[in-house]
This record gives sequence, structure tokens and C-alpha cells, in this order.
Amino acid sequence: MLLRPKAHFGRSKRVLDLREAAMDVLSLVLSLLYQFGTSAAFFFLAAVGLVIILGMMNIINLAHGELMMIGAYTATLTYHAGVPFWLSVILSFFVAAAFGAVLELLIVRRFYGRELGALVVTWGVSLVLGQGTLLFFGPFLPSIGIPGGSFSYGVFSFSAYWLILSLISLLLIIGLWWLYNRTSYGLQAKATMQNAEMAKSLGVRTSRIYTLTFSLGAGLAGLSGALLAPTVTIAPFMGQQFVAPAFITVVVGGAANVIAGAVASSMVLAAVKTPIGMAFGAFSGTVALLLAALIIIRIMPNGLSAPLEKYFNRRAGRAMR
Amino acid sequence: MTKERENQPPRTDGRAQPDTSAIQRSDDSTPGIRRRDFMTGTAAAGPGAPVLPHIRSAKAQSSGPIKIGHIEDLSGNLAVYGVQKFHGAQLAVKEINEGKTLKGGPVASGGVGLMSNFAAAPPIMGRGDKDLKFVSDGGKLTGSGMAFVEDEDVLVDSGESGLLGRQVDLLAPDGQSSNNIWQQLTRKLIQEDEVDCLVAGFTSAEREAIRPIVDQHKQLYFYTNQYEGGVADSNTFCTGAIVEQQVIPVVDYMIRKFGPRVYTIAADYNFGQLTAAWTKAFAPLVGGEIIEEEFVPLSVSDFTTSIARIQAAKPDWVFTLLVGTNQSNYYPQASAAGLEYPMASTVNMAQGYEHRRFKAPSLNRMYNCVNYIEEIPTVRNRAFVKRWYEMFPDDPYIGQMAQNTYFSIHLYAKAVRLAGTTDQETVKRALESGLSIEAPEGAVFLEPSTHHCSHYIRLATADADHNVSFVREWPSIQPWWLQRVGVNLVRNKEYKQYIPDEDPFFTMFSKS
Repeated sequence: MLLRPKAHFGRSKRVLDLREAAMDVLSLVLSLLYQFGTSAAFFFLAAVGLVIILGMMNIINLAHGELMMIGAYTATLTYHAGVPFWLSVILSFFVAAAFGAVLELLIVRRFYGRELGALVVTWGVSLVLGQGTLLFFGPFLPSIGIPGGSFSYGVFSFSAYWLILSLISLLLIIGLWWLYNRTSYGLQAKATMQNAEMAKSLGVRTSRIYTLTFSLGAGLAGLSGALLAPTVTIAPFMGQQFVAPAFITVVVGGAANVIAGAVASSMVLAAVKTPIGMAFGAFSGTVALLLAALIIIRIMPNGLSAPLEKYFNRRAGRAMR
Repeated sequence: MTKERENQPPRTDGRAQPDTSAIQRSDDSTPGIRRRDFMTGTAAAGPGAPVLPHIRSAKAQSSGPIKIGHIEDLSGNLAVYGVQKFHGAQLAVKEINEGKTLKGGPVASGGVGLMSNFAAAPPIMGRGDKDLKFVSDGGKLTGSGMAFVEDEDVLVDSGESGLLGRQVDLLAPDGQSSNNIWQQLTRKLIQEDEVDCLVAGFTSAEREAIRPIVDQHKQLYFYTNQYEGGVADSNTFCTGAIVEQQVIPVVDYMIRKFGPRVYTIAADYNFGQLTAAWTKAFAPLVGGEIIEEEFVPLSVSDFTTSIARIQAAKPDWVFTLLVGTNQSNYYPQASAAGLEYPMASTVNMAQGYEHRRFKAPSLNRMYNCVNYIEEIPTVRNRAFVKRWYEMFPDDPYIGQMAQNTYFSIHLYAKAVRLAGTTDQETVKRALESGLSIEAPEGAVFLEPSTHHCSHYIRLATADADHNVSFVREWPSIQPWWLQRVGVNLVRNKEYKQYIPDEDPFFTMFSKS
């Protein structure tokens, strides 16, 4: 009789141990999923403006980081002036889009079809913007605190804001898909990018389409810059950290179907980076990421979206039959 | 920068060989030859003699302004640090030209006492009844009290405008955060402008890029940054704090206060790697243990995975050696993810003022042993901060290296006055005469044999509202490691950087 409670205690402890171990494993799985979502969202947001400008318009836009910086600065300045954060994010879309339109009208439109010229001129623009921002606003702006709190499960804890960013990325994907597949602007834009002369002769105002598309790309860059602003340092050259991931994402995604490509490549890259980074550290994660990009481009020179597009087309063809 | 040691010039024994540099000289009549003549003269006079009158009369340029060359990054990614340092140099030059100097001289280090003991009733040796020696305790223990409530301002009149009756000019081109441009500018300042003194360098990469050029021309050079230590160079004077002054006190404190299990997350280049090596070597001495080291490439700006790794490892505290704009994202991201471990660092707060830039409580419980931080509450620092913001009202912060550049230029002026000439070899000898200077941080002593400085080190910490307070102070910590490996630049000329691998200290206490 005396031993009974003890035995009972022992068993419940064993159950407890098991439950704890299960919780540890579950917690690790959750953490990996969260890291995967975060990382994929980061790649997608870094690339979303460039998807339009490089993927569709074929402009090697080295000012991409500075467009994101403009978004982040707009959000930060308006936020500290008292505008609610979500409103300032929307505002920064329009500011960056307006800036993009001006940039297209004044400079970029002279370089269509001249890829290297566009590369050099956008690089110049990026230098002017970065250094100009340093002169006008100084080396740093005060940061925006990350909205949303954190919650934890097991040993790991998670930031709510990154989950929100993952959701916003999904919404952006759906929105872009709708824009390019269900609106007349989307149709005209695709026609213009495929064959401008033909589109023109069919009555599409191609120069307006170019301006709108570039402006949309710039606006999206600004939007993502503003969305990522709370998680980064607000500084004149902050955009440069996004340029390499953005280009890798877009190039790995390929031009056959830019939106599907960007989605696929951010997910593939995140799926490579997360487990290896978790097991061996950030350095190995970065190396694995670059290796994966290298291998994918070597095997699929047209990016992940080329086979995807082929698959979609075949299915569409079968459906038509 | 361990790889760059191959680029060192050959060792010389005091009398240099003809200068057959790959660099084209614009003018062959040249400081090189002139300096070489001096080298032999100086060697004959023996080291350490502070004033060498028979050399003073020689050919050092003695008319026109004294030129201080200054390279920092005024644009580009590192501008946040470079502009501060440039302003420090401007302030020092302005004060020299206005006839001011910082207290100090060849008198060894030491400031005024704050709390002090005095011998009210000292122990006395006497003889007792039976011819036995005894020691009387002299009554009550010694008296003790406040010697000075606070030390006074240390900026005093120098007795002349400028230096040796000459105006001091600052030549300060922009390094643009690019190592190539740094090399070009260094050549230009040395060969064309013939500067009397060069003050330059933020990253260790920049320093190692220009040091071979400095050595080729035997240019007197001040490197004013906090860095990983180990540079033993006859032409270079390193006035920033180094690892043994920063890492050891903070690691000791953290292990005692928070526990032995340490997770190091460091920037993946020479500074981060070498500082982490120091931490790993030292932690076992005070019962600590590095449970995991992670080196993060400078390009990484999303720290989700690193944060999860830290949580999985469950350390007692985290040693963060993160550098640059991208890597400072770690703090808000970790804070938003609910990571609440105490942190220690040698770079944050005092350089990039993260506690001012990031929303509280990102830097809560961050500990850093600094030789300077704007918040130091002494009278002399209040006066310094006031002078600074009167000249640069729009500056966001005065960082550690800005103060180092400021006092280094004043230190140069002191050495020139002592030498009575701007001839660079003579000034180097004067700098090796045991100079100390009353910097805004406190007394700084330039240790002659290693060309590094002792510093007044304070352990600064930020609370949940990012208020800075000081929990420990070490009025003078010596830069001892180069002495330990046997460097004596007064006797033997050297031009290299020592790394921890060359010293058994780094393995002798490790457990494995």
C-alpha cells in the first residue's frame, strides 16, 4: 500500500517524460515550419518588386534595394510623425510607385532593349539615392518597433509579425496572379512585354503600360521595404542587403512565369536554407543556399518556372481538348 | 587578416635598405631618403631618449602648416562610424590651433583619486619590553574619505597657438568604405602631401590594406579603432582598446553573474573570429564554457534560424560580436521573437549606438566593457560632450573611436612638443617615452614597447528602457598580450600582426 503512490508517481513521471519529449519534437517541428515560412516570406518580399521589373520588363534594376529603402524611409518617417503603421505601409507603396513612375519617364525608358545600359544607369541611380539619403537624413533613422508580440511553445518562441508577413506574402501572390490573369491591364502588359510592336498595332498604349508596370514594380519594392522595415536597421544603404537575395530568387524562378517562378524559388531556397542553417549554423545555411541556386540554374537555365509553365500549359491544353 | 601577413615588408634593423617600392614616386628627392638619414642618427642616439637636440636641427620641414592626414569613410556603408571619427579629428585640430591641449605628459598614467585612503594612524614598528620586535597597529585603521568629489576638466592652455608655432592642417579625404580607395589615398597623402602624421582606419581590413604602404614609407601612423589586437608595427600606434581590455573583464563578469554556459554569435571575419578565439581561450579560466559558436556572414540579415539555434542550445547568456548594419538587425528580431537572454559584446552600444536606434527593450541586459561611451558621467566627459555638440550640434552620438581619434591627435601634439620637431622618427621616439594623456575617458598611457594604450575601462549596461549605467570600473587595464609574446618595438623593429595561434595561452586552459 505504501509503495503504491510511489509507483504511481513513477509511472506518471515516465508519462510526463514522454509527453515532454513529444512536446520537444513538436516544438522543433513547429520552429522549423516557422523558420521556413519566415525565410520564404523574406525571399519573396525581397524579390517582389524585382519580379516585375527584371522578370517581366527585363530591366536589370540595380536600384531595387534603394526602391525598398524609399519604402522603408517613407514608412519610418510617417510612422514617427504619428501615422498608424499599416497606413504608413500603404502610403509607402504609393510614394515608391510615384517615384518609380518619374524614374521611368525621365531615365529608364531610354534604355529599353539595352540591358547593359539599363544596368549601369540604375546602378548610378542607386548610388545617388543612397548617398543623397545619407546627406539628407544622416546615417540612421530611429527604428519602428516590431508590431505584434511573441508566443512560445516548448523551448522555442516565435514572433507574430513574421507570421503576419508570411500571410501578407500569400495575399500579394494571389493579388498579383489576379492582376496579371484576370484584368485587361494584365493582358495588355503581358502582350506588351512579349511583343511591343504587335501590341501597339493592336491599339495598346505601350508606353503607358511600360510606365505603369515599372511604377508597379517600384511600388511593390517600396511596400516590401516598408513591411520589412521593423525587422531591419533603417539606414541609407539598407537596401543592399536585399539585392542579392532578390536577384537570386528572380533568376532561380525564371522568366517563363515570373510570379509562379518567384513563389517556387522562394520556397525551394527556404527549404534548403532552413534545415541546414538549423543544423550547422548560418554560414552553412548561406553556402547551401548559394549552391542550390547554382545547381538549379545549371540544370534549369530558364529557372524553376520553365517546367512549371510547361506543366500548366499541358494541363490547360488537356482541359481544352 | 592573418592572410595578409605575407605582404609585410622585410624586417629592417633600423637602417632601411634603399626604398625600391613598386609604387611610383612622383618626386625622388623625397621624404624616404631624408628619413633614412634620420634612422641611422636615431639608432645611434639610443631608444627612448625623448628629446634629441642634435637631430632636431636637421632637415625636418619647419615652415608652413603641420599636416595631419586623416582617412575615414565619410560616405558608403561605414559612414556612420567614419563621420564621428572625422568630427573628433576636427575638434582636436581646432583645439590645438586655439592653443589648447589635454593634460598629461611623460609622467605615466594615473588620474586624480576619488575615494582615497590616507595614513591617519599608520602601523609603527617598535620594540617591546622584552626586546621583541612588534608592530603597533597605530590605533584605528587608516582614514578614508573623498579626495576629490569629481575630477576637473582636463583641457588646458598649451601656451601657443598651433604646434611649434605652426598652424595644424587636417587633410581628410573620404575613404568611401572601399579598401582600394583607402590604398590610393594613403599613397597620395604620404607621397604628394607628405603628411607629418597619418590617422586612419575603421575595420581591420582597411588597416591591413594600408599598413604595408605605411611601412614602406616609414610613415608615423595612428590606428584609433577598438580591434582584435596583435599588431606589432614600429610605425603604427594603436590607441583603441583591444581584446584583453574588453573581452576578459566582461566574460568574467557575465560568468559570475549569469552562469557558465556561453553561446557566441560572431561576424564571420577576422575581428569576429579572433575575438571569439579569445573568449574561448579565456572562459575556462573563470569556469565558463562556450557551448556553441556561430559565425554569421556579413551579408546575412534574417536571423530567424540563429535565434532558434540559440533557443535550442539554452545558454546562460549570449556573446554577440555582430558588426555592420545588416547584423544589427539581430537585436530587434531577437527581441520580437521573445529571446530574453542577457548579452555581452565588445562593439555594440559604444560604436553604433544601438541603444539609441532600436526600440527598447531590444538591448535590455546588454553588457559591454568600453573605454569610452558618451554617457560617462564624469566632469571632464561632460565638458568634452558639451564642446563636441557646440561644434557639431547635429551629430547623433559620440562613439568610442571618435573619442580615440580625438585624444590621439592631442597625443601627437604632445609628442611633437616633446620632440621639438615634426621629424617622424624623432616623434616616434618621443611617443615611446612613456607618455600619458588625460583623455575624456580618463588617463590613457601609451605603452612604449608595444605601441598600444592602457585604458580606463567601464562595464556599461543598458536596462529595459535603454538607460545606460556602469556596473564596474577598471581605472587602468594594460594591453598585456603583445608583451607576453615578447614584442618590444623599442628594441626590435617589427611589422606584423600576431594571432592567437602563435601563443600557447590559447590552448593551455581548454578542457579538450
